[in-house]
Amino acid sequence: MSAAVNPSKVKPAPAALPLGVNTPSVTLPLAFMVTGLLALGAGMGWLVLQPRLLATYHYNQYVIAVTHLFVLGWICSVVMGAMYQLVPVALETKLYSERLARWQFAFHLVGFIGMVWMFRVWNMKQVGHFGSVLALGVGLFVYNMARTLRRVPKWNVTAVAVAAALFWSSFTVTAGLSIAIAKCSYDSTEGLAAAQGVRTLVDGLRSIAGFMSRFDAIGAMHAHAHLGGVGFFTMLIVGVSYKLIPMFTLSEIQSKRRAAGSIILLNVGLTGSFATILLRSPWKLAFALVGVGALAIYGWELAAILRARKRQTLDWGITYFLTAVVLLFPLSGLAVALSWPGLPLNLFTGQLENVYGFLGLIGVVSFAIIGMLYKIIPFLVWFGRYSRQIGRAQVPSLADLYSARLQAAGYWTFLAGLAAACGAAGLSSEMGVRIGCGLVSLGVATLALNVGTMLTHLFRPKPRPLSLQTSPVPKPV
Amino acid sequence: MNKTVTVDVREDIRHGREPFSKIMNAAAALQKHEQLLVIAPFEPVPLFRVLEKQGFRHTSRSVAAGEWEVRVTRQSNASPPDAAPSGASPGSCRDSGLAPMKMVEVDARGLEPPQPLIKILETLAELSDGGQLNARTDRRPMHLYPQLEERGFTAETLEQPDGSFLTHVRRR
Repeated sequence: MSAAVNPSKVKPAPAALPLGVNTPSVTLPLAFMVTGLLALGAGMGWLVLQPRLLATYHYNQYVIAVTHLFVLGWICSVVMGAMYQLVPVALETKLYSERLARWQFAFHLVGFIGMVWMFRVWNMKQVGHFGSVLALGVGLFVYNMARTLRRVPKWNVTAVAVAAALFWSSFTVTAGLSIAIAKCSYDSTEGLAAAQGVRTLVDGLRSIAGFMSRFDAIGAMHAHAHLGGVGFFTMLIVGVSYKLIPMFTLSEIQSKRRAAGSIILLNVGLTGSFATILLRSPWKLAFALVGVGALAIYGWELAAILRARKRQTLDWGITYFLTAVVLLFPLSGLAVALSWPGLPLNLFTGQLENVYGFLGLIGVVSFAIIGMLYKIIPFLVWFGRYSRQIGRAQVPSLADLYSARLQAAGYWTFLAGLAAACGAAGLSSEMGVRIGCGLVSLGVATLALNVGTMLTHLFRPKPRPLSLQTSPVPKPV
Repeated sequence: MNKTVTVDVREDIRHGREPFSKIMNAAAALQKHEQLLVIAPFEPVPLFRVLEKQGFRHTSRSVAAGEWEVRVTRQSNASPPDAAPSGASPGSCRDSGLAPMKMVEVDARGLEPPQPLIKILETLAELSDGGQLNARTDRRPMHLYPQLEERGFTAETLEQPDGSFLTHVRRR
């Protein structure tokens, strides 16, 4: 018997967590995710019907509309829904308000559908109105997440990345609305009384438009796109994977300094890239290299995590995600090439910009998201339907909820389609883009089919009595 | 207090051994000027009722992750062992009218989600009425808490020095 305590061997005692610390109901994240899938299907269908959008230069209303369908409808929907589920679990805390999240879903749905439609008909005034509805939703999302982060008992690299992503997402929306404001025309306010709020509002919008007119329109659009693509999506992919990849491969972060370094450099690179893209500065290349360096450190740490894993088999969900990481290599190469000082804008380099955007959104971000969806959706469905029956009935395993064959088929068709569409976009081939996007659509269809199979368990659960598990089936004599 | 008798039950619990009688025997042997120091991986709340019924008072505090100190002394009006009636066994659980506390250990480390949840809840389903459960996991079991609440259990989770988590589960 010994009462000796070695203080060097014990960590400071965190307060024991009370019961009731949990995540929102499964229907909320699932609603976001199903919305996202519908938007992805609609976006890919649009490109199949109008491959010219990808085979010609991207500065036109249709490309902007379909891009926002992918970015807001597909990626943001899934990412936001996943964050409501994952952030409380990964950071060991509780979502601040599920009610706010439900309101955000409504604003998000109305906002992004209206924006995409109004971009398509190029009514920038209405884009601004629907964009404001979306921004209201984003504001609720950021506030909800920020209050959730305040409850985090112990900050780590994932929490920092989530906080940074929230900042960049707010900045992205602000920049986007400013661009929309700059593209509107304003009537004279002289007839309005100074005390009226409308006059103040219009004068404010006009001064924002005046400020934005200092910048090149395409530069502002590209800077806005990088804020969202790198600041929100990539930041989250990098930060959250530091928690999820060790969780699903049974490993641990191998170097906290390396992980923190990648997040810091990504933020530095993005800050510089935003400013230099906006100002069309030759320093763009330097900050692109900082961003690429951040991703290289991320890849280094991820490889170390995978080498140390206890679970040797990588399932399709992880394979999808790691493919996204591999696709960062060609994407980074394109980023450096397109940042090269003095690079002329001609037919080929213009198409390379299309490839860069498509590879970034439909390649890197979508592969990462689909990989995580194949982890999150089965768990949400399983948890929502079967967790109460554990120990009381024989519940199916997560793998029983979907088809691994469909996962594999979807993976290869999606990847082949991505390669074909990127190649065809680079060569301005409409037929190639149609074939490539058709293949990607097939990949999306397999995902939808698998998700549908999972969701059937919500309505028709398939538990079996425990006796089937424990009693051997008697053999006929 | 002149003397402190220390009983460290962390190893017992880790190996699935029942530490109740060990603690109660040590408490029974306490003199008026002595105190008993129990070191446990969680706050042994069920023990407190038994100690109070047998004339002991206690204080408890968390000193580190997964380490609790409980200091036990005799109440001033309680009799030391030499004054106890012949044949009585103050350390025996039966004297208090309570069944011995059965502690079940579940090691759910090294499992991919949601296997830890399944393993813990399946073990819990077979737990006897007075039984308690200690579950070790790689991560704080956030999805376990609502399930425990729904099944009438309460739990406390403490991070361990090796980065794992120990969750102590008992009935409400």
